[in-house]
Amino acid sequence: MGNFDGDSGTVFEQSYATTNGNGKVPNGNGAADLSAPEKQELLRKFSAPAYTEIRTRRCQPKPANDAQSPSSINYHPEKKSIPNGHASILDQESKPNQAEGKLSPELEHFQKTSFEEVPLHTACLTYLGFYLLMILGYINQLLFVPKVATEKGRDGYVALYDAFESFYSRYVYRRIKDCWNRPICSVPGDELTLKDRVTDDYGWSFKFTGTETRCLNLGSYNYLGFAAATGQCADDSEESARSSGLAYCSSRCELGDNEQLQELEALTARYFGVEDAIVFGMGFATNALNLPSLLGPNSLVISDEKNHASIILGLRLSGATTKVFKHNNMRDLERVLRQGVCYGNPKKGGQPWDKVMILVEGIFSMEGSIVRLPEVIALKKKYKAYLYLDEAHSVGAMGSRGRGVTDYFNVDPKEVDILMGTFTKSFGSAGGYLAGSKKLIDFLRTNSHAHCYAASISPPIAQQILTSMKTIMGEDGTDIGRKKIHQLARNTRYFRRRLAQLGVITYGHEDSPVVPMLVYLFSKIGAVVRTLTTRHIAAVGAGFPATPIMEGRIRFCLSAAHTKEQLDFALEAIDEIADDLGLKYSRKPRDPNPVIY
Amino acid sequence: MTSIAGGHGEANPNSSWLSARGFWLAYLLGLLSVHLLFLSVPFVSIPWAWTATNLLHNAAHLYFLHVIKGAPWLSTENDPSRRWTHWEQIDDGVQMTTTRKFLTAVPIVLFLLTCLYTRNNTEHFIPNFISLVVVTLPKLPQFHGVRLFNINKY
Repeated sequence: MGNFDGDSGTVFEQSYATTNGNGKVPNGNGAADLSAPEKQELLRKFSAPAYTEIRTRRCQPKPANDAQSPSSINYHPEKKSIPNGHASILDQESKPNQAEGKLSPELEHFQKTSFEEVPLHTACLTYLGFYLLMILGYINQLLFVPKVATEKGRDGYVALYDAFESFYSRYVYRRIKDCWNRPICSVPGDELTLKDRVTDDYGWSFKFTGTETRCLNLGSYNYLGFAAATGQCADDSEESARSSGLAYCSSRCELGDNEQLQELEALTARYFGVEDAIVFGMGFATNALNLPSLLGPNSLVISDEKNHASIILGLRLSGATTKVFKHNNMRDLERVLRQGVCYGNPKKGGQPWDKVMILVEGIFSMEGSIVRLPEVIALKKKYKAYLYLDEAHSVGAMGSRGRGVTDYFNVDPKEVDILMGTFTKSFGSAGGYLAGSKKLIDFLRTNSHAHCYAASISPPIAQQILTSMKTIMGEDGTDIGRKKIHQLARNTRYFRRRLAQLGVITYGHEDSPVVPMLVYLFSKIGAVVRTLTTRHIAAVGAGFPATPIMEGRIRFCLSAAHTKEQLDFALEAIDEIADDLGLKYSRKPRDPNPVIY
Repeated sequence: MTSIAGGHGEANPNSSWLSARGFWLAYLLGLLSVHLLFLSVPFVSIPWAWTATNLLHNAAHLYFLHVIKGAPWLSTENDPSRRWTHWEQIDDGVQMTTTRKFLTAVPIVLFLLTCLYTRNNTEHFIPNFISLVVVTLPKLPQFHGVRLFNINKY
């Protein structure tokens, strides 16, 4: 693996060879010349999106020139019939991999992405299950209205919630609300402690039992394991709280600035290899309050359909025109981009836009997929657009040095106009940042709502970021950061391959530490989460309307703090639960060989 | 109240949940099960079972697609869909999509089957035809957003 050091690369290479099933280390001689029709066929195939699109039955006219120019990016495929997703015993040929430098990034990305369409009967059952839930909800709404669902002292006022708009929250989602919102009473490290609750009225109200459950934590975004009650980060943060206090209670433009935050901005800029950076106290606000500063009414934004709510809110506040392209679909992105640039602003009679911006995320937190950054950058250059990359989940978790997807794809960070990320995940802290050219950051320092009006980062929180970032960069004199990055990568590969071996359907890229396991039916989300809790495993469910209606899932988040024994413990429980609840929907062949950690 | 639509995707799932895989099959199976339920009731003849199925189906279409406005979820948007019926929210208002064609065809096919099994008896034909017109008229593209005689305007 080109992204890792030689020793761990050897381990991954052996693991890769073993999963090939032929017991040989790939030697790269498998590449063969292809005839012209075969090349054309491969070009057409690989210009397709990395995922088989969900059949949404939309009647959208396709561009007439699609067949003539399938892609603006030149592919150089070296082999045909490269399997999609997981390794297969049916493929006896050895495959080139990134360690040999044979595969282009596009082919490798396609090869490593896991997506499988829902079986038709499962989708049908999911719909019928939802119908049943809605019918029961209507009956409940007519017959049983507990006190908590009524508003008091509202004479003469408009109701706070429309009865119909709150229907789903109160009568459908309420039944499994305990699987989404669970109180804990410990640091969310590799393990956490849940405060047990019981409900006598199907989720309208809860009572604490006074007992606690110690669980393996697969639900937190603790990618690098810096969320810990002990260690250098905790010690430094405690010292910072004692020396600098708990908060500045002022904005950066007034009394909330000091050397610590300036050092943090300089360190962040150095971390990413760009000119300058600016930090904010809230990760959500980094998107929601800075996009209005960067965009205006005559701006066009092309946004991925799976982007986060903070991005959506920021775009709406900015007043810019937003076009949506299908998730990680480069062909659709180019189609929307071309149409937007050619036809101009329809509200101004087709005049050119002031600016055009592509907005993508590094790792999508619901899908586990990774942005196809080299292709996005190629399109950005072709159409002279800006690129805004939200790395909330990918910073720290991707790349051999933890710098995010730019590190993972070996892309110059200066190619990305605006690097955005949060400190809430891999760094175990709070807040967000924007990094880029000095001209951009200086503009934001005078025009950003979050910089001029919001309170600055609290001193112990800033210290946590500083210590964890220095640990990742190795500036603390140790190699703890590098070890954590490698540990996360190994845990991710191991866990994903073991899940694929079990036969469950997972989404996303094989290097993504966000591992959504599809359970589809709404009721199964609750069953899986509750059963995992009885096995002392804490996981998070995700369902409609946060996901499409028939794609309920359990989202596992891996951490560098997890050990192989912990992952094996979780996988054993998941295997039993998958058997009991019928979650092994995958129709791909399974690798019979044991997965080597 | 922590379940808000639009957190990771579209702000109004009403526009797309009918387009997902499996909906057609689930819809037809649900319709078939209701019809079998009517057929299994003793003392109800086959023509009356078909008429009951057709009328109930069209009543459900009328209520759920053309009377209810807005969405049953709290949304990150300021809910511009509050004034739209469910039918007008499908596919964000784009006409002649596959979903709209399917939902328009089902009442018509069901009406034709009902006529076949009631042998075009006038007593059954009149209510069936009236219900078909009532649910098909608001589905026409020309009636998008139109409120005849201000019916269901607010």
